[in-house]
Amino acid sequence: MKKIALYLCVILSVAACADSPKGNLVKIGESVCIFPDYSEVTIPRNIAPTNFVIDNDADAYRTILTNGDVSVTKSGRKICFGSKDWNRLTNGTGNAISVQIQLKKGAQWGALEPFNIYLSDDSIDQYITYRRIPVAVESYEILDMCQRDITNFKEKIFFSNTMVQDNESGTCVNCHHCGNYSASKMQFHVRQFKGGTVLAINGELRKVNMKTDSTMSAGVYPSWHPTHDYIAYSNNKTHQSVHAMSHDKLEVIDEENDIILYNINENAVSPIETDSSELECFPAWSADGRTLYYVSAHYEAPFGPERKSRIFLDRKNLHFNLYAKPFNPDTRTWGPHYLVYDAEAADSSMTWPRLSPDGRYMMTCISTHGIFPIDQIASDLFIFDFKNGTARKATEINSQYAESYHVWSSNSKWIMWSTRREDGVHTRLYFSHIDENGNFSKPFALPQKNPEFNRTNLFAFNIPEFMTEPIGISAREFAEFISENDAVPAAFESKRETDESGVLITTDYRVDGTTSASAIGKGQASEEMYLH
Amino acid sequence: MKKITGKLAAPAIAAILWAILTFTQSEVLLKTSDLSLFLFDWTFLKESFMIPGGFLGWAGSFFTQFLYIPWLGALLWVAMLYAAGHLTVRAFGIPSKLKALAALPVAALVIANMSLGYGMFIMRPQDYFFAPTLGYLLILGIISAVRKAPLFWEKTAIIAVSAAAGFIVSGVFALAGTLAAGICVLTEADNDCAEMNNGKKTGIAILSLAFCIAAPVLLYGCFTRYRLADSWSMGLPSISDDEWTVRIRLSYWFMLGLSLLFAALMPTLKKAVAAKSDKVRFANVAISIIAVLSVATFWYKDANFKAELKMSLAVDRSDWEEVNDIYRQVSTKHLNREKKALEKRKAAISVTGTPEQAQFVVKEYEKCFFQPTRLMVMFRDLALLKQNKALDTAFTMRDGAKEQKSLTQIPMAFQAGRQLYMHYGLVNMAYRWCLEDQVEHGWSYGTLRYMAAYATLLNETEFAAKYLGKLDRTLFHRNWSRKQRPLSADIQKMSQELPYREIIPYMSFSDRMSNDLVKCETYIMKHFAEDRDAVASPEFDRAALLWAMRTQNINLFWKALSQYLSTASDINLPKHVQEAVILYSNLEKEDLGIPIDKSVKDSYAVFNEYFQHARFSCEAEMPASVWFKFGNTYYYYYYFIRGLQTF
Repeated sequence: MKKIALYLCVILSVAACADSPKGNLVKIGESVCIFPDYSEVTIPRNIAPTNFVIDNDADAYRTILTNGDVSVTKSGRKICFGSKDWNRLTNGTGNAISVQIQLKKGAQWGALEPFNIYLSDDSIDQYITYRRIPVAVESYEILDMCQRDITNFKEKIFFSNTMVQDNESGTCVNCHHCGNYSASKMQFHVRQFKGGTVLAINGELRKVNMKTDSTMSAGVYPSWHPTHDYIAYSNNKTHQSVHAMSHDKLEVIDEENDIILYNINENAVSPIETDSSELECFPAWSADGRTLYYVSAHYEAPFGPERKSRIFLDRKNLHFNLYAKPFNPDTRTWGPHYLVYDAEAADSSMTWPRLSPDGRYMMTCISTHGIFPIDQIASDLFIFDFKNGTARKATEINSQYAESYHVWSSNSKWIMWSTRREDGVHTRLYFSHIDENGNFSKPFALPQKNPEFNRTNLFAFNIPEFMTEPIGISAREFAEFISENDAVPAAFESKRETDESGVLITTDYRVDGTTSASAIGKGQASEEMYLH
Repeated sequence: MKKITGKLAAPAIAAILWAILTFTQSEVLLKTSDLSLFLFDWTFLKESFMIPGGFLGWAGSFFTQFLYIPWLGALLWVAMLYAAGHLTVRAFGIPSKLKALAALPVAALVIANMSLGYGMFIMRPQDYFFAPTLGYLLILGIISAVRKAPLFWEKTAIIAVSAAAGFIVSGVFALAGTLAAGICVLTEADNDCAEMNNGKKTGIAILSLAFCIAAPVLLYGCFTRYRLADSWSMGLPSISDDEWTVRIRLSYWFMLGLSLLFAALMPTLKKAVAAKSDKVRFANVAISIIAVLSVATFWYKDANFKAELKMSLAVDRSDWEEVNDIYRQVSTKHLNREKKALEKRKAAISVTGTPEQAQFVVKEYEKCFFQPTRLMVMFRDLALLKQNKALDTAFTMRDGAKEQKSLTQIPMAFQAGRQLYMHYGLVNMAYRWCLEDQVEHGWSYGTLRYMAAYATLLNETEFAAKYLGKLDRTLFHRNWSRKQRPLSADIQKMSQELPYREIIPYMSFSDRMSNDLVKCETYIMKHFAEDRDAVASPEFDRAALLWAMRTQNINLFWKALSQYLSTASDINLPKHVQEAVILYSNLEKEDLGIPIDKSVKDSYAVFNEYFQHARFSCEAEMPASVWFKFGNTYYYYYYFIRGLQTF
């Protein structure tokens, strides 16, 4: 038996050596082609193995990865790491994994220019959530909301619409979001059949209908207040249409938008911004919760059946600017809004403001027009650095295709966003590290067990969110709760707002899109309310 | 002799079924294959386990791909049906004198597939052709295994495994098999197992029922893709319409119900067979006849449906001559019969006294005259345009808007949206309908091909690679994919190849935001009326002129004509255009001085002359009556083809 094992060892060793380079390697002039492109990227040490496939043509492949005194050798086109090898490499003494790919062409072995995968000591949140959907226009059938442990490859569907909808009545799920990166403060919307906004707070489930007689729609794009039990939502009347002839295939437009505040404890909504000549959308809280950022485009057209077709014709003139509105969370009192970035002046449109938890950065999307960046090839990421007082396009991470829905990690060191950079259509999740100077590292794709996953998978992955803990509620629990419970209607409250002179006014919002305001007092707003 | 006849009956019926499928249903089989997908891919297999019964669907898809070669696919299916019949006899212990009973579940399986008609376009998943047959074989396998297991614990173990593991791989089929096996054990008198007493038999039956109820509930936590309430129908095909779903599932429920019934009643039947041999022989023959007649009755038969399928397959190949041939054949097949019907109708009308009575007779005879569906006309016009014959011949053929012979009307967009839009250069709409189709019914070979073609046309190489990569993993479409790959990276090459070189000229129009509201024909009509670019191709202008003529809108015609004249290379106007010019000039009493051939002038004069003297009992009598005289002119279309419904 021992002899057999010995022979086997010898045979295997000989076989292994037979196809490996001997002597000095010829330098191959061609550039490294790997997929996903992990060359010269910066990754956190705690991320899952960055498996990749080599696209350079060759008869045999050998890849040597080294970090300090740790070395791992792989053969074949597909470079996949076991957790043991990967942990050794990422925890090596150096701050980069050097990768040398050797190719055998004919009888000759050669080496490509080595590249590095830089290791950052800034860790990344262990979990992300996203919605996995088929690329679609109007129909939907399977919409999965998933949580992925990005330190490995484990993915769990935490809810799927297919667990609720029946043969004839469809259920859409969207806009999952959590407060402070916590699984104990979660929400997502269920639309149509068994619809309502589902809130999961400390393991307790609640389904709310935020559409009131005084609001145009239920809550849509959410932003959970960082310190208090409030969620800011936009109200949207959304439509979409197909481009008859364009690389941009779809256009999504809101006919009307407003912003509301949902008070979780009182189950009540109140208006925040409801100007009928403004399309206000995408609320986002500052890190201290004392300012609400949002975007808005000025648009005047009569309300009625013609408005929808008119706004599509006017789509190129819809330029969303960035605004901020002070808020006192203790008194729930708002100050007057002010312009932060005039995108219209630059003939562009700014959407999706997202602030870093440390308060230093705000990232937005910037595009030529409109409100739905993921369907616009021209959509890029844009970064505000409040510390340095700069605002610029994040050129180092933008691509030729659409960038959208970005989110900051809880330590403000990483961003994740959805991008169509790989083929222009399928949305994929990418990451980048931001350094002390506000510069981004080269973007890298969410690692997958099968490195060709992004090439072959026909689903889109959108609305990524970071989370620091696993979701404790099972898909079945969500499904049973949603199926068995009707949405509880939210109450409607007036808005409390001060004007520029400090007069407190309340605003009631009506469904016809107009507002009525009346002054009721003075001096409710403190000075600190305007600091952010 | 009787024995030989009996032994040969089943193979003979199987052979006849195979021949019918191969020689008369090849377009149905090909389309079924085109609407399905099987990938030689580990992920494709893994994904099948996302729902109970998914693996059965995976296996079903594997066999469905062979329908691409109709005789082979039909052979595989018929072989399975034959095996199902044979195993039904063995599994349930059907007495040889009553073997025809085995034909009933087989007939149900045949009816389920062959009665679908237009339902094939909205089935989900698209593995329905083979999966239920395989499911039924699994039922028989479970029953046989339980019956053959000699010991109590062995039977119990098989029942437990078939309920749990079987449910995961085959859904409701395994549950039905488990329950039927339990009933078999309970009712079986001559059980192989000597140690089985009635208590144990009852125990097994109760266990099988308990497993059937409990397994889906207990296993539900492992899945996230369906409702708990749907657990007991997992593995059965469905349609996103409850009425359709009930209809298509009737056959399957009948088959599953028969399994339980056979299990419960077989011992009693056996005793009855032994006692009454004459009546049994009669019953056997009667059951055989019922099975055959049921299949013949429920088999979907519609010449327009088959013509649509054939035309659709030819459109995929850009074989325009074939598209026109199919239309010509189906529209002229019964011309003599139609002439006779016209005579008979004339005679019937002549004895009526009032226009209302005449109208009633006309309605009675309506079905005697060929009328195409809108999709047939759309395919035909498309083919004629591609051949540059439309403006000379489009109005020489029958027109109409016959409703689909179907439970509900399947919108043209679902059936052929991607084809029509793609070939008319409306590529983003083709893309849209590919997406809608895949969301609703899953990916298919057809959708992948059109998505790849779309991306190739727009020179979106990486996007095309995604779909070509999928097609590389198929058995019968990989060659197509390999041919496309170089085209997707080279505009020059692409623009010289079919179908691209015929599509590109139609892409000379401006972008606009649009939604077809699931009405292809209206959208295309509006597109050619409104979207022309400042500089258009002759192909676009030809199509725009044809579509303007279809609208019967005079102003639109003059506008389209002037655009047509700006790009046309031939100064001689096509026949139908001349007919429209002379007709509209006369209607508007304005001579624009456009040269008209003498033959057209003469035909218009004859047309006018005829209607000055012709007398009809009612207006409805006119179209069919004058079609044989003037059905090849635009005047006929203008006056008699009105109010067509498109959807």
